[in-house]
Amino acid sequence: MDIQKLRDEAKRALGRKEIEYLIGYKKGSYGFRISPCFIETKEEVDQLTFSPLCSLSLVNYLTIEGKPLLPADEKKSKAKKVALLVRGCDSRALNQIIAEGGISPDQLYVIGIPCSGVIDLKKIEARFPHTPDPVDVVEENGNYIITINDQSHTVPVDELKAETCKTCQYPTPLTCKKLIGDKRAGNPPQYEDIQILEAQPPEEKWQFWQNQFSRCIRCYACRNSCPLCYCDGCILEKLKPQWVKRSVDTNENFMFHITRAFHLAGRCISCGECERVCPVDIPLMKLNRKMEKDVKELFDFEAGLDPEVKPLLNTFAIEDPEDFIL
Amino acid sequence: MSEFEPNIVAFLCNWCSYAGADLTGTTRTHYPPTVKVIRVMCTGRVNPLFVAQVLRTGADGVLISGCHPGECHYMKGNFLARRRFIIMRNLLEFIGIDPQRIRMSWVSASEGKKFADVITEVTEDIKKLGPLQSFKENVNGHPKTEG
Ligand code: SF4
Ligand code: SF4
Ligand code: SF4
Repeated sequence: MDIQKLRDEAKRALGRKEIEYLIGYKKGSYGFRISPCFIETKEEVDQLTFSPLCSLSLVNYLTIEGKPLLPADEKKSKAKKVALLVRGCDSRALNQIIAEGGISPDQLYVIGIPCSGVIDLKKIEARFPHTPDPVDVVEENGNYIITINDQSHTVPVDELKAETCKTCQYPTPLTCKKLIGDKRAGNPPQYEDIQILEAQPPEEKWQFWQNQFSRCIRCYACRNSCPLCYCDGCILEKLKPQWVKRSVDTNENFMFHITRAFHLAGRCISCGECERVCPVDIPLMKLNRKMEKDVKELFDFEAGLDPEVKPLLNTFAIEDPEDFIL
Repeated sequence: MSEFEPNIVAFLCNWCSYAGADLTGTTRTHYPPTVKVIRVMCTGRVNPLFVAQVLRTGADGVLISGCHPGECHYMKGNFLARRRFIIMRNLLEFIGIDPQRIRMSWVSASEGKKFADVITEVTEDIKKLGPLQSFKENVNGHPKTEG
C-alpha cells in the first residue's frame, strides 16, 4: 500500500471542516509495536502509517472515544465527525455496530484500506526476539521484508501472517467513503478444524476446553481488544447480579467463555484480534468460528455485511429451524 | 445406591406452559418429580445464559417451554427465544455438554397431557446421560463458595 496516498487522503479529510480528528496508526515506541494515533491537524499527518503490523482494530477507539464523551442528545447537536481508517474486518465491525445502533454513521468519515493481512505479533516476536528499535515491514511478492536497524530480512508471508487473515473472507472494506488502493478478493470460508472438534464425543470436547479454559488468567484482553465488545457495563464485570465471579477458577472461566462466545454469536466479524492478544494462547477463534458457521448454516446470516440489516438475535423468521423442540 | 434422579430446571412461560403444567396437576396426570419449575412471563425473557448458569450450579438438564409459534402472548417472544436457544445449545454442545440436556418445548395451556409427556421424555433422556458432573463440580477441587 502506498503510504503517501494514505497521508494525502488523510489531509483531504482533515481539510473538511466537519472532521474533528482522524484515527489512524502510527509507529509504536519499540519493536514491532504499532499504536493508534489521533490526528487533528494536517501537519501531524506524516506520522500516519500502515503496515502488516497494524493488527489492532481502530474501531475500538471509536467506541471508547465516542461513547462516554457526551450525552446522546448533545452528541447529535454537535455536527462533528471522526475520520477513521478501516481494513476489511473493521468495516464489517462498523457495519455491525451501526446496525446495532452503537454508532451513528453520520458521525463517521470512513477511509478504507484493502487489507493484505496482518502479522501475528507473537509469531514475529518469536522469530526476532529482543527487538527494541522500531522496525519497518512491507509485504512484497509473498514475502515480508523486515528492516531492523538497516538490516533487512526476508520471511515468507505464510510463516508470520495471522491465521485468520490467511482465510479472510472480506479483505476489502465493504462500506467506506474512500478506498485507498485496489480491491482484494476474499477467500472461501474454511471450517475443517471446527468440524473435527464437532465430531468428538462430549467428554473429549469438554476435556479439550477444560485444558484451554483452565489456563485463562482472566485478563480480559480478549474482550478489550474486540471491536464488538463495546457494551457499557459489560456483564462480565457486573457485581449485581454477578454472573461470573472474579476468581480464576475453571468453572468460572467456562462461564466467562460461554458468555463471551454467546455474546458474539452473529456479531463477531472474525478479525482474530482476541486470539492474538491472549497471553496464554487460548484458541478463541474456534469458538467464534463455530458460532459464525452455525449462524450461517442455520439462518444464512453473516455479521457486518450490511449496516441496514437488523442484528441476528433481535429478529426471527417464522421458518427458523426447530427440530430440537418437543 | 438408589437410582439417579435427574435434577431438571424448567422455565415455563406464564401464559401457556405454566398453565399447561397447572392443568397436568388439576387433572392428576402423573409425571416424574424431577422438575423444578421457574415461572417467567415469556420464553423471550429467559436469558440463554440462564442455561449455563443453571447447569453449573447443580442442574442436570434444562427445559424451556412456551407457547406454540404464533400463539405467544407477546407476539414474538417465543420466536426470539427459539433463535437464541438453538445457538446456545450448539455452543454448549461444542464445549462438551450433551445437547439432550438443553431442551425446549411448546406446550399450550390446554396440553396438560403433553406437559407430562415432555417431562417424562426429558427425564428419561437425562437419566440415560447420568448426572452432569463435569460442569457441576469445581474442577479445581475446592468447593465453590456461595454468594
Ligand atoms: S470476538 Fe475476536 S475475532 Fe470476533 S470480532 Fe471480537 S476480537 Fe474480532
Ligand atoms: S462480553 Fe458481552 S457484555 Fe461484555 S462487552 Fe462483550 S458483548 Fe458486551
Ligand atoms: S485474553 Fe486469554 S487469558 Fe485473557 S481473559 Fe481472554 S482468554 Fe483469558
